[in-house]
Amino acid sequence: MKLFMPVKLILLLIISALPCSRSESSAEEIRFSRDVLPILSDRCFHCHGPDESHREAELRLDLKEDAFADRGGYAVIIPHKISESELITRITTDDETLLMPPQDSHRKPLTDAEVMILRKWIEGGAHWGKHWAYEKPIRPVIPDRAQHPIDYFVTTRLKKAGLSLSSPADKRTLLRRVCFDLTGLPPTSEQAQKFLSDTSADAYEQLVERLLASDHYGERMAMWWLDAARYSDTDGFQQDATRTNWPWRDWVIHEFNSNQPFNKFIREQFAGDLLPNASDEQILATSFHRQHMTNGEGGRDPEESRIDYVIDRVNTTGTVLLGLTLGCAQCHSHKFDPITQEDYYSLFAFFNNIDEDGSAGRKAKPYLEYSSPYVDRAVTEAEQLVEFRAKKVDSVRKKAEQEFAVWLDQRVQQTEKGYQGWTIIQPGRLESVAGTVLDHVGEGIVQASGPLPRQDDYLVFVNHVHTRITGIRLEIFPHASHTSGKYTRGENGEFILTDIKLQVHQKGRSQLQDIQITNAIADVEPPTKGRQYGLIKDTLDDDPRNGWTTAGIEEIVSHTAVFELGDPLFLEQGEELVVVLLHRSTEGNANIGRFRVSVTDQPGQAVRSLEPMPLEKLALAEVNSSAEVNSELRSELLAQFLVDHIEFQVVNAALEQAKNQLVQVKKAAGKLNVMVLSEKAEKRETHILERGVWDKKGKVVSADVPSAIMSLSSENELSRLDLANWIVSPENPLTSRVISNHLWQLCFGAGLVRTPDDFGLQGEFPTHPDLLDWLALELVESDWNLKHLLKQIVTSQTYRQSSNISKELYELDPENRLLARAARFRLPSWMIRDAALLSSGLLNPAIGGPPVMPYQPEGVWKEMFMGRFVYESSQGPAQFRRTIYAFWRRSAAPTFLFDSAQRRVCEVGRRLTNTPLHALTLLNDQTQLEASRELAQCIMKNSVSVEHQIDQLFQRVLTRSPTAEEQAVLIREFERTTVYYAKHPDDAKRLLNFGQPENQDDSQYVEQAALMVIASLIFNLDEAISHE
Amino acid sequence: MNNSIKQNLSPLWQQARRYFLGQAASVSLGAMALQCLENNSADAAKINPAIGLPELPHHSPTAKNVIFLTQSGGPSQIELFDDKPGLKEWAGKELPESVRQGQRLTTMTANQKQLIMPARTKFDQYGESGASLGEWLPYLSKVADDLCFVKSMVTDQINHAPAMTKFLTGHHLAGRPSLGAWSSYGLGSENRDMPDYLVLISQMKRPSDQPLYEHYWGSGFLPSRYQGVKLRNARDPVLYLKDPAGMPREIRRSMLDGIAELNQKRLELTGDPEIETRISQYEMAWRMQSSVPEMTDLSDEPESTFELYGPDSRRPGTYAANCIMARKLIERGVRFVQLIHPDWDHHSRLSSWCVARCRDTDQASAALVTDLKQRGLLDETLVLWGGEFGRSVAGQGKWDSPEGGRDHHPRCFTMWMAGGGTQPGLTYGATDDFSYNVAENPVHVRDLHATILHLLGIDHARFTYRNQGLDFKLTGVEESRMVHEILKNHPG
Repeated sequence: MKLFMPVKLILLLIISALPCSRSESSAEEIRFSRDVLPILSDRCFHCHGPDESHREAELRLDLKEDAFADRGGYAVIIPHKISESELITRITTDDETLLMPPQDSHRKPLTDAEVMILRKWIEGGAHWGKHWAYEKPIRPVIPDRAQHPIDYFVTTRLKKAGLSLSSPADKRTLLRRVCFDLTGLPPTSEQAQKFLSDTSADAYEQLVERLLASDHYGERMAMWWLDAARYSDTDGFQQDATRTNWPWRDWVIHEFNSNQPFNKFIREQFAGDLLPNASDEQILATSFHRQHMTNGEGGRDPEESRIDYVIDRVNTTGTVLLGLTLGCAQCHSHKFDPITQEDYYSLFAFFNNIDEDGSAGRKAKPYLEYSSPYVDRAVTEAEQLVEFRAKKVDSVRKKAEQEFAVWLDQRVQQTEKGYQGWTIIQPGRLESVAGTVLDHVGEGIVQASGPLPRQDDYLVFVNHVHTRITGIRLEIFPHASHTSGKYTRGENGEFILTDIKLQVHQKGRSQLQDIQITNAIADVEPPTKGRQYGLIKDTLDDDPRNGWTTAGIEEIVSHTAVFELGDPLFLEQGEELVVVLLHRSTEGNANIGRFRVSVTDQPGQAVRSLEPMPLEKLALAEVNSSAEVNSELRSELLAQFLVDHIEFQVVNAALEQAKNQLVQVKKAAGKLNVMVLSEKAEKRETHILERGVWDKKGKVVSADVPSAIMSLSSENELSRLDLANWIVSPENPLTSRVISNHLWQLCFGAGLVRTPDDFGLQGEFPTHPDLLDWLALELVESDWNLKHLLKQIVTSQTYRQSSNISKELYELDPENRLLARAARFRLPSWMIRDAALLSSGLLNPAIGGPPVMPYQPEGVWKEMFMGRFVYESSQGPAQFRRTIYAFWRRSAAPTFLFDSAQRRVCEVGRRLTNTPLHALTLLNDQTQLEASRELAQCIMKNSVSVEHQIDQLFQRVLTRSPTAEEQAVLIREFERTTVYYAKHPDDAKRLLNFGQPENQDDSQYVEQAALMVIASLIFNLDEAISHE
Repeated sequence: MNNSIKQNLSPLWQQARRYFLGQAASVSLGAMALQCLENNSADAAKINPAIGLPELPHHSPTAKNVIFLTQSGGPSQIELFDDKPGLKEWAGKELPESVRQGQRLTTMTANQKQLIMPARTKFDQYGESGASLGEWLPYLSKVADDLCFVKSMVTDQINHAPAMTKFLTGHHLAGRPSLGAWSSYGLGSENRDMPDYLVLISQMKRPSDQPLYEHYWGSGFLPSRYQGVKLRNARDPVLYLKDPAGMPREIRRSMLDGIAELNQKRLELTGDPEIETRISQYEMAWRMQSSVPEMTDLSDEPESTFELYGPDSRRPGTYAANCIMARKLIERGVRFVQLIHPDWDHHSRLSSWCVARCRDTDQASAALVTDLKQRGLLDETLVLWGGEFGRSVAGQGKWDSPEGGRDHHPRCFTMWMAGGGTQPGLTYGATDDFSYNVAENPVHVRDLHATILHLLGIDHARFTYRNQGLDFKLTGVEESRMVHEILKNHPG
């Protein structure tokens, strides 16, 4: 029992006294669309609605005629007569067999308040109407011309609730808010300086103008559109191949920046290819409808995939532009909204004639061959980085060569005659899993005998402590005791080594550590094709279906394989290396009969080749001084020396990465295939698909729009262009409202309709219906001018009020449905990243171009795709681009975006959550840390006193100085941290040593480390990550 | 308000109380309307994640926790579980159309003759229950009496991604909440230092053709806090868990204190209760930084554990090591643990490929059941083993060559369960003589979901979440059946 009596009573009182669930009006003012229809829709339409397949009792309650009809002596609804209306009887009866909705429908019974609404409505005459969103918006009258229209609607509503707007936000808070909303970035120091010191009356309007004119405006708006358009750089599904549709992303940014009318924007995305003399850019625009996932899974019928793509286009259109959950009508007529299954497939028909065949990857035609105007800049940037890093490598190499000369002298003196690079292992222990007897027969050679299991694993334990191990050599010997004198005692004497594993075992521990082998070579491999036994590298993949054999090679001689370790291994006392030889081939009977294991400490070429090692050659050369070493051997020795030269390896690896990046960027420089729309010459017939199943073809339908929304008559066959024109027609009741609602959501964190993807009967009623209509008409009448509408929104007092909230107001309106305050909410994760880049000075503000790879923890792609894709972080300035340019792999979205849209299907809602994983990301993501380090370094350059430095850090991130109290906390933290790093200077160095510090100043690392921690602290403050 | 009381109140109650405190006795319509407005919003945001939904459980549960041993790719029921001795006589003959009945094939085998390939294994009966198992599962056969086999599983998807999406989320298209997310949403967590739903993926060296998508354990339209958290076999078991090199715990602690202090000041100034949540989430992050490594570290386990779970369990990241971890997580109150082995898609070479997967999983899966039983945890823990579909009786490639394998087959496959209120030693359902169609007691994937929820104390038909104006449930719109017959002590 969770409620005790008095509370239960209060609860009843509240509910029963309420006139309705959505209205502040009195009981007399019940409105059909707002109050009655939602109840009928939720509880009745499931069985008594538009969907005929689930219709019961041949009754429709979505139609007035049906509801009022004489059904043989009674009617469901008789206006003014509650007691005679069957509806009321059936929702209030005690008889469970008669009660509606029936129990087994799993629909909730009506509450007392809801019953009350229906009673009052019938009592008042049961006035019927349409669902609000399907009626055309009407320009509401605004009596007070002086007031900002938005404020008129909001304050009128507030007055009814006995409330008023909050006081205006202070200038600095407003500045940050509007910068984030219009550009997705915090203000720069200069922007802040300019606005905060501007005392003119229109300072704010000027600021808004500047922001709307900024190129970052287009990026911010594009992020909204890309989420809705499910934009991604890969296909999704099993293959998840990379595509090159990013020029479309840049087109979107450009369209927003040049403030193209939204109706033109939509028309080109739906039907740019059908416009007369379509330009490349107009065709490029249609890539919007190709941003869906494509499925290249083996074994899948391409036609099934193609149907999925068409369905995705219909659903996306519904969600993003019409606010309709059209997807429901894919399998059956919509249960709540007046969309029939036939309507659905009539819409489907518009998109069903694309010249595509359901393929994915590089075969996802139709394509537009397109050269991006944004590539040259990226290529130049990548080239400059290669040049810069190449110079660094040169200077380190020169230094290393001097060290090499000394080393070579030593080697000449110390290398003994007959030096052997390989050390034969005297096995400590030998085991087999399936019973083969293994014996050490001298000189490290192991001989198998005893039982002959079909498959077996051999374990060789190596105690080779205190010496470096860089590689393992395996020798396999023929022997007279083997079948035909070959390599095994199996049927044909041939061996198959399916896999090799190296593990370290520490005495007293039960767990083993796997050692990575990165490379393997063998003296011979038989010719193979496909997944056959033969290749030595196949012994590294833990797959028993392939592996190394020498079967097919006639000559019976001993064979050798060499395995290179990923990192040199040092065994400590109490540790042993376990070499595991797996013989698990499909047919088996190929377990090695006689073998030997050796190890070496020589790096590089020595373990990548079967040739004599450089030092062995040096020993053979019998020289007395390094001058006598011939140049060929000298360069081999130098190469080997550099393998162990850490500084050289670090700068050289950085250069290699920059070079790889340049190769990738150059690939984007030519003609790219962008997936676009174009019509197929021969028309496909469109059928209703029964239950939505791709090959269950029903009745043939032709392209048409849902007439319940707005009908469209034409003598000709309708095209995609007609559809686009219908969507952005001023007569369409949905589009302008839906888009205005999106824009409102961008600025207030939530729409006036809180279900931005559902304006249908199951969606929420607008909190301010008149305001929504006003915005919608303002949008249409301004020639679909988005900047105009946004300016209207952000210049209202409603937008400019403070977001601070009193306890009373919070209790009254926790979700801010009345707008008695501005919205306070956490910024989307992409803005948090961009803000950190801007505040730290790392941001590379370039627009457009091929996608970049921001830092991401190692192995994320590798784990998911088991090695098929490897993520390589962008190098140099490319690393610090805005998040909109981050490469988006559909099946593994960027890890630092902890609340992003999934970009699988169209999504327009917001996903703001508050979990420990978000906290961890902001604390430890490398971008956040690098921003902290750079900011610390930058601040140190400009100021010396701790107070001033902390003030500057705070200013850079939060556009204000800390209060005295805040300053005290930060100074305390700074001091604690400084004390620690002064005592542990190595930790300070380690803290600073990551990422890409091209110009790291190492002189004051203790102070920088401490300031970096403080910077990171400030970046993590709620204020830093919130829209206030 | 006292926290423990608060946690036991339904959101509605809290609103009522709030209202009562705020308005005393006089009732104004405006204020009430506001309460109504609030009512319309997604209630999920207000649910206390620690205790789940106030109306749950619907009935007294028999399972508190779930360990789902997911065998991705589709293990062959024909080699492992579904003994069809009669097939020998059909070897190499074409599958009769009366059996195939128009079954759709993948394009991999659609153009080849459907020639019957009998099992590559020998079968035997094990335990008192006499459950039949193929020879590649020697360890499982020893615990056969603890298991409940369902041989009549059915799905309607023939390709991996849609079938696995269906198997784990109830719908073949991505975007629905996974079984684990539903459980976590409904029932909440018992461990305040760990997420309630953890995913452990077996590491493999070679590339696998089956990517494991995040949506397999995603939260769909449920709030993201309910999504499965993948524990990785890497430097960070959870992404971003580890502090950067050079930052000791004491500095992190100190820094978090600073953040909390300044956030507290911001909370006082702005009045935004979201800041309060933020402060507590940063604290949970701090706790996770020590609890996760502690829980994923198996070095404290005695030698006997590793002996029980087999040699692979000594190597971190393997399926066997993950089995030990699953038991450890369940012991610490994690609600739902999902293990995934990614590589059962044996289209060829059953006697190396399928055998390799059995070696990876057999001993450890059996050991997990034994271990839970010994610790008295099996009664309250439901263990499930199975993949997204089965394999076809027709050979892929040459039926009589060692190269032969099997293509996907949705019409029947085998799963087993243990504990959590299922009947040990039971074999439920049967297929026809070809292991091609279900002959009796079909269990569709959605029936399985209804049954799992039932064991957790949830009536699947009443467990819904409103999204885009519709009440969604895990089992979807089609009729699903709770399989009472597999419950422990079910009469008859």
